[in-house]
Amino acid sequence: MNNSVLKGAGYVLVHVPGMVTHHGTTQTTERIVNPDSDYLKQLPEHMRSYEDCVAYPPNQTYIGNLSIEDLGEVPEPWYDKKIEGADRFGPFGEIMPEDEFVLLMQICDAFDLVHLDKSFVQQVRPKLEAHPLITETMLSLIKEGHDEADILDQESHKAALPIYIDGRMVGYVKQAHDLDVNLSAHVIFENLASKASSVVTVLHLLNNSGIDPAAVEYVIDCSEEACGDMNQRGGGNFAKATAEIAGLSGATGSDTRGFCAAPAHAVVEASALVTSGAFKNVVVVGGGSTAKLGMNGKDHIKKGLPLLEDCLGCFAALISENDGASPEINLDILGRHTVGTGSSPQAVIESLVTRPLASAGLTITDVDKYSPEMQNPDITKPAGAGDVPEANYKMIAALGVKLGQIERSDLPQFVKDHGLKGFAPTQGHIPSGVPYLGFARESLMEGRTKNAMIIGKGSLFLGRMTNQFDGISFFLQANTKKDAADVAAAPAVIRDVPVIGVSVPDSELGEEAVRAAVEQANRSGYRATLIEGAHCLEQMDEWIQSGKIDAAVAAHYAFPIGVSTVGRIQTPALGKELFIATTTGTSATDRAEALVRNAIAGIVAAKSCGIENPSVGIANIEGGRQCERMLNALSESGYPIRFAGSARSDGGLLMRGNDLLQATADVMVMDSLTGNLMMKVLSAFTTGGGVETIGYGYGPGIGEGYSKKILIVSRASGTPVIANAIAYASQIVEGNLSGIARSEYEKAHKAGLSGLIEAARQKDRASDGERPAVAAPPKEVCTEEIHGVEVMDLEEAVEVLWAAGVYAESGMGCTGPVVMINEARSEQAHAVLREKGYIS
Amino acid sequence: MDLENQKRVKDIAEQFGPENVVVVLGAAEGEAAGLAAETVTAGDPTYAGPLAGVSLGLLVYHICEPEMKEEVDADIYDEQVSMMEMVLDVDEIISEMTAIREQYTKY
Amino acid sequence: MAILQGKKAIVIGDRDGIPGPAIELCIQSAGADIAFSATECFV
Repeated sequence: MNNSVLKGAGYVLVHVPGMVTHHGTTQTTERIVNPDSDYLKQLPEHMRSYEDCVAYPPNQTYIGNLSIEDLGEVPEPWYDKKIEGADRFGPFGEIMPEDEFVLLMQICDAFDLVHLDKSFVQQVRPKLEAHPLITETMLSLIKEGHDEADILDQESHKAALPIYIDGRMVGYVKQAHDLDVNLSAHVIFENLASKASSVVTVLHLLNNSGIDPAAVEYVIDCSEEACGDMNQRGGGNFAKATAEIAGLSGATGSDTRGFCAAPAHAVVEASALVTSGAFKNVVVVGGGSTAKLGMNGKDHIKKGLPLLEDCLGCFAALISENDGASPEINLDILGRHTVGTGSSPQAVIESLVTRPLASAGLTITDVDKYSPEMQNPDITKPAGAGDVPEANYKMIAALGVKLGQIERSDLPQFVKDHGLKGFAPTQGHIPSGVPYLGFARESLMEGRTKNAMIIGKGSLFLGRMTNQFDGISFFLQANTKKDAADVAAAPAVIRDVPVIGVSVPDSELGEEAVRAAVEQANRSGYRATLIEGAHCLEQMDEWIQSGKIDAAVAAHYAFPIGVSTVGRIQTPALGKELFIATTTGTSATDRAEALVRNAIAGIVAAKSCGIENPSVGIANIEGGRQCERMLNALSESGYPIRFAGSARSDGGLLMRGNDLLQATADVMVMDSLTGNLMMKVLSAFTTGGGVETIGYGYGPGIGEGYSKKILIVSRASGTPVIANAIAYASQIVEGNLSGIARSEYEKAHKAGLSGLIEAARQKDRASDGERPAVAAPPKEVCTEEIHGVEVMDLEEAVEVLWAAGVYAESGMGCTGPVVMINEARSEQAHAVLREKGYIS
Repeated sequence: MDLENQKRVKDIAEQFGPENVVVVLGAAEGEAAGLAAETVTAGDPTYAGPLAGVSLGLLVYHICEPEMKEEVDADIYDEQVSMMEMVLDVDEIISEMTAIREQYTKY
Repeated sequence: MAILQGKKAIVIGDRDGIPGPAIELCIQSAGADIAFSATECFV
């Protein structure tokens, strides 16, 4: 299965103290049941300022400014601790102030239901204009607003809900229908708050992940609101409403409802959609809930705390096709609380945690971090609900004890090692599993952890439709570096022995020779299959694509530019193994670039045959010096290459013919034409040239981004070579050539490969152009030779020295081109040539 | 305690007679257990619901208390509750429940 | 003397402690008759 990946996450808190009093149900219920209550009277004194809300440690963690570990270092309770220099914005999102949010609600209102005071709009508009992510299109949706007189006219909008900021009424939300309770001002307000908070969170997600908004194909909203009218009370599709404002022009969507477990359900759904290939990019979003504001306010105020539930909490996640880097969602490990599971805590944890892990052969200690319900303990403990994440970890550990996976005495340590501090606001679905996604992604990509389990739980019984509980869990793992092409070419079943297809239809030695090679290889324990017939090459290609075979040996294949083959031979007399990089194909049209790419290809081939740190030698051919310089540059910049030194007494990096016969280096770098020549000479000399009988053939095609495993033999290759080629093929499959290739090219690029290639190309272009004539300085007797200048640069190098006032001549030494100068000028000449890049 | 639940407790106590009723709790924390226990004995201490100022004095236990564990089938208890003995602070729960019962239970 | 046997039981479970249905199974085995059962959720 080509797993989908978590490509990004976004988290937003919206500080809405004005909405606590008028929309949090604890407060609205109190107003009905006990209108003179002290609680309501005391409430305003306990509301936090925006600055305090931003500086509150768990809020800084929520948006990614403070790591979960660092939050754990802050002594609890946290409500009286402030983070110095706390920022509104963080790597995952922001903490938005109320006034900007209210204007954002107006932007999200397409039915003229949000009426705001003109002066309020004027005052706040510049703040949204200054927001880094609010788009021009969104700003164009701002309506001018109404006169103050109209806003304050209570009579004419009796059924509307007021919007207060800092005690001042700045507008109201109207009902959308006189009779339909489903379109009451209350419902519209709740829904618009969810939509607006979802929108700003999606904007942060787009920004964090760098994805083109138009590339999002599907949105799933997983909040807990319902939108509709009396005929379809829960019609829904908050997802598409959000997508429209956020500018996701290529998306449709739908809503997933599952109480608090909905975010986890939605991520599983999104992952399945992407893994199946239905969509490439799916956004999951959950907006905030005004109803839950101040939910435990009575307990907080009774204990002298500020009102901590003053924020809407929202999150968004991007699930995309496997990119070879982001953490994968492994759909083979899914926990489900089913109808048959029952409600006992043991059964719940078993269904969500231990059973899915067991199906993958894992125990609870194999998961680095669990993220169940991540409510902020600062909020829940004073309300008598304890430390919810901690309780969850204890439950997982307790079941582990019951199942014999850990000792009872290990329970507290398990909680420390595999648990996380809670930090999410009590916004229902928001704390359920998903707050950790942003941190998990970073940790998995940086290699600090290797996996995580995200657990969502829901209390369905609250809806009075069922007494059941619910839950679903999924598994995140570090990317296994399988790219799509690789997996498409890989069999669905892991084979013990790779299957190699052989297609040599026009062998000069006849069909029998090829068949004999296949039989010989199979007798030695390999698995080769002969592909015959008029369309055997097309058949071979098809089988590679579908994964029916893992690799192929062919007499002929049209590799794309950028791919060339690495041959493998035993040297005559000494019988030492040698990789010749390369022997067919074109790595690049620029010669220097081609040689460098050949070197990398050679390293890849040698490594996939089990040579951990292959030594590299460059054949002494045209371009060899430049290749040497470029490889040195790579080696010094973080892509270390083990260079062999010539066996000849004068040493040096360039390999002569003697070195080839002595296999002084594991990998010999040369252009494909030279390599092809070498292969033929070294493999056919015992037969007088007519039949190639020594070695493993011309080898696999290797190039950046290329993952098919196709090895070349020639029409003159005899049975031994074809049989060896099958062995070579089998070895590179088991040795994970594609994975090694990807890793080597990545390292080379990190070390500056692109820059070196570009510089080499420019140099070529420059040397092709006109050069201004340089006059020679007064002639001196040339007594010293400077080696290392590329033959095509020779004239230029001489002119450069002339321009620097050093008399120089060009010549051909016994090992190659040289620049000759007077020995007194040696230091200066070397310095100039080194600076200009003619020598290293 | 949820207002709706308070109403049901009141109604059932009236319907069957408070001496024939027992309330069994599953609260996660001692404090929450004590609060619920007080609500069905002395009355809703938060004065929010139907049991505000109503002292039913009902018999009330938490399922993790030894008196409950003794009477329940051992296998069923093991399957449904025992794991939580390692998670909940059972001693704290017992202490809160005992205090409330001693003060307010009439039966 | 058995506390649960023959009594009308009211179960107030807790999602984070022992939920209602789990308590029901337990006390039914002890002879209680379930008059009402609910599970509360505080988070």
